[in-house]
Amino acid sequence: MSQIIADLEKRTELYVDAFNAGDADALEDFYTEEAIAVWEPGKPLTGQARRDYQRAFLSRGPRITAVPRQSFVTSDTALLIVDWTIDTVDESGTAVQLRGIGVDVLRLGEDGVWRYTVDDPYGQED
Amino acid sequence: MAFNFAVDFDPAHPDLTSDAEVANEIFLQVFNSGDGELFNRLYLEDSISNFSGEPLTGAARLAFFKEFLSSKPTLEAAITFSYVAGDVALMGVDYSIRGTGPDGSPTLLEGVCTDVLRRQKDGRWLMAVDRPVAAKGLVSE
Repeated sequence: MSQIIADLEKRTELYVDAFNAGDADALEDFYTEEAIAVWEPGKPLTGQARRDYQRAFLSRGPRITAVPRQSFVTSDTALLIVDWTIDTVDESGTAVQLRGIGVDVLRLGEDGVWRYTVDDPYGQED
Repeated sequence: MAFNFAVDFDPAHPDLTSDAEVANEIFLQVFNSGDGELFNRLYLEDSISNFSGEPLTGAARLAFFKEFLSSKPTLEAAITFSYVAGDVALMGVDYSIRGTGPDGSPTLLEGVCTDVLRRQKDGRWLMAVDRPVAAKGLVSE
């Protein structure tokens, strides 16, 4: 089990690297085909709408930090609770820092790779 | 035990489905039946329950459910959100559990719970992870 948690923590590190590189194509490989992301509370996005949102978000050059808070890992499904911050700019170009406690569900693919299937950055209130 | 399901429920092969309201109704009725062995059938062998305040799986989880439910605590829960992505669902609930303490006095646990459900190869949806965040009271207290 500790090997699985190590794999998942490595996966989070690689996600952070792809995010901070602004690489939308690389980031997409961290999600399942059916993945739901809730970048704005109460507004779940999936499919092309999710991809378009993430691409636009990354175009502003955001920088993310992610610190795992709790991990619950079964053989093929994981729930991760993550403290994160994102430094980015708003629509007027003013620097802003976003932060939250993310609730992420990952699934183990048949190729042995864990991918986000629910990405809920504001999933837990502080 | 007296069940009054408005939805399909097969005790031998329970299916929570990916419909949050159906899942909540089954979860509530089975919890409130006091039957820990049946409640455990809503979970997979390697599923993780944090109801006790610690992540439990397998035999330890079953033993906790049997003990915890034997005093017939009453669960109330309302779905706050539900996201279904392929064969996984993430659901949120507001919950309260009223029970009786060792000295016979009433106890109240309440908070929010995050549930992850997984669809099995046979099509049934079961709990993979539950994670209550208590606002008031802990089972371990």
